[in-house]
Amino acid sequence: MKYLSLVIANLRRNRLRSVLTAGAIMLAVVLVCLLLTLPAGLDAIVENASSNTRISVHNKAGIVYSMPASFVRKVRQVDGVAAAVATTWFGGAYEEAGRVTFPNFAVEVEHIGAVYPDYAIKPEQLADFRRYRDGAIVGRQIMRKYRWKIGDRVTLRSTVWPVDLDFRIVGEIADEDSPYFWMNNEYLDQALKAQGGAGLGITGMIWVRAGDPSRVNSIMRTIDELSRNSEAETACETEKSFFSNMFGSLQGFITIMIIVTALVALCIVFIAANTASMAVRERACEIAVLKAIGFDRRVIFATLLTETAALSIAAGSAGVLLAVAITRALRMFSGWSEALGPLGAFAVSAPVVFQGLALSVLVGLLAGIVPAYAAARRPVVETLHEVF
Amino acid sequence: MALPLSYTWRNLQARAGRSIMTASVIALVVVACSLLLGLISALQRTFVLSGNPMNLVVMRKGSDNDGASQLSVQAYQAIRFFDGIARDAADRPLISPELVVQPFFRTRDGGRENVLVRGVEPVALAVHDQVRITQGRMLRPSAHEAVVGRAVLGRYAGAELGNEIAFGQGKWKVVGILEAGGASFESEVWVDVRELANDAKRPFPYSGVRLRVATPTDLTRLKRRIDDDPRYALEAQPETEYYAKQAKSAGSLYVLVAAIAVLAGIGAGFGASNTMYAAVQARTAEIGTLRALGFSRRAILSAFEAEAVALSTVGFIIGAGAAVGLSRLLDWLMGSIAFGAATFTTNVVRLNVSLSDLLGALLLALLIGICGGLGPAWRAARLRPIEALRKA
Repeated sequence: MKYLSLVIANLRRNRLRSVLTAGAIMLAVVLVCLLLTLPAGLDAIVENASSNTRISVHNKAGIVYSMPASFVRKVRQVDGVAAAVATTWFGGAYEEAGRVTFPNFAVEVEHIGAVYPDYAIKPEQLADFRRYRDGAIVGRQIMRKYRWKIGDRVTLRSTVWPVDLDFRIVGEIADEDSPYFWMNNEYLDQALKAQGGAGLGITGMIWVRAGDPSRVNSIMRTIDELSRNSEAETACETEKSFFSNMFGSLQGFITIMIIVTALVALCIVFIAANTASMAVRERACEIAVLKAIGFDRRVIFATLLTETAALSIAAGSAGVLLAVAITRALRMFSGWSEALGPLGAFAVSAPVVFQGLALSVLVGLLAGIVPAYAAARRPVVETLHEVF
Repeated sequence: MALPLSYTWRNLQARAGRSIMTASVIALVVVACSLLLGLISALQRTFVLSGNPMNLVVMRKGSDNDGASQLSVQAYQAIRFFDGIARDAADRPLISPELVVQPFFRTRDGGRENVLVRGVEPVALAVHDQVRITQGRMLRPSAHEAVVGRAVLGRYAGAELGNEIAFGQGKWKVVGILEAGGASFESEVWVDVRELANDAKRPFPYSGVRLRVATPTDLTRLKRRIDDDPRYALEAQPETEYYAKQAKSAGSLYVLVAAIAVLAGIGAGFGASNTMYAAVQARTAEIGTLRALGFSRRAILSAFEAEAVALSTVGFIIGAGAAVGLSRLLDWLMGSIAFGAATFTTNVVRLNVSLSDLLGALLLALLIGICGGLGPAWRAARLRPIEALRKA
């Protein structure tokens, strides 16, 4: 501890250099944290969005293929199924945006609540959803983004069905990150019939909640068996597998991102090592004097290493904080521009904070160890010789 | 009088270790930046190349992509006889009715992806004139045959010439391979439009039509006529515009990459300044002597700036070489890279660092050099000769 003032004094002797080094390390830690957040963010989204009892039932050929609307009734009779709801992609664009900016589905209002008990929708709101044909239940993320409140009326223009529908928001999904918009499928069905069409008649996806997680696999097998050799054979998968498949095709991009992260981390080590060795080399004379007046080799080594490590850790902590601030800011401004939208979903998680800090410790040690060791080992006579 | 460039060069050589260190930091930033730019511009290019300025995309009003649109046989029959559509040698109009469906495809490694399957008629090859069948032949209608894009080839189970590929309800025989100079058609599978409508049980046989206009003036005229036709509620847009909108899906990735480049660039700039400040400090006596000899402040400033720019140029050259090499290596290791789009389609691109990506990286490297060197150069120029010499 008594050498602490020496370490601090050394850091302060060339403030500009310390600041620049710290700045470089900080920026690199920010980068690494943000890049690590990318895959971690996807994982977290999948993890948060999934329950271990929910099953997705869709056409084996793809999610753009449909199933007959009546199939959900057969699914409900399967042993172990607690609830099942048929949902259909509406592809509605909110008029101000002109593009599909959030997922919206036509659902069976009587069954949706029982399949998503974890979404914490208030019972009276679910009752309103059943009562009003034009009712809609909307996730908080979308409510916040468009400054909607319960009771508001909104119009969605479908990009899939030839209808525009007016909705009244009757409830919300309490989760702050929920991007969903649910509407009554009978409302869509009648609107389609009013246009002279055949009505809905199909469903894109059935979500099933199993009463018991241990029965999920047998339920999935039974449902797929039920549809075997029918017009629309189904493929069941767990909710988690469904969402990870949705993001699966970004895997290659993420791999490259991670390679870049590794490069950037390497970059930090270079900068820090460079500076640390500069600082030590310039002080060769001083270190030799310290040794000559009796300072122990180990003390010299420890103080030099502490100097680099302390600088690096301080910079790393600042970097982690900055990364958190950046994701917060992105979240806040994600409504402003199309391009920022998807980036708003990412938040720096605790493991990423830990990894960022660990990186800064590692950089400090790696960058400090070689010059500190060299300086501590160098014979006093040799150095002093060179200097005088 | 300016200091000769050889002075700058010798200075870099005199501190070879540090110079190399600084240059490698800049090189790493160049590598990172050009790899990411290369990847995204490859994605963007697939869209840009897909549009033909003489083609119109006709979809249902309000649809923002092929996959969401629907179009009836009647509408197709009506548009077919509109004036202003280009005609081929046999006097048939160049209008291609198409159905787009995105079924699951099994990838080789057991995953699954939504691939864009385009149901077409033989005329499609004339309308999309950048598309060529380079191996095998075009599919025959009603024979359950498929032509696969070059980027799809080998990525999915059975996607090889002569093999059978399974999607939708059945199996399709691969009879040809399609190339389109890097356009997004290369990420698609083409089959017969009627068979596809049957397979997907679509109530409408088409999702849209693509047509070639005879002259540029016909483009606006036909567009207005289709937009204003009250019978079918359709909307026409130039194909280039349509694909430019699709390319916007890469917008978030651009923001991300720009942010990374800026942050990494500032970081590297800090590193470069650090080295340069140290160099100025170590050369105080030398600068004092130069000033005493009569070199102006401006000469000193520009000599140090030149040093910084030289460092970043060297860094760029090393980095560019490494980026090209690394991109080849990654391309060889990973093969094609898939991007899932919001429209449920997968675009497959190959990593390729092009000259324009390198240009972006060069700008960044020069910016790092100029900004990073400015502070130290300024300090060197401001040194007072007497004090500098006294310190020495």
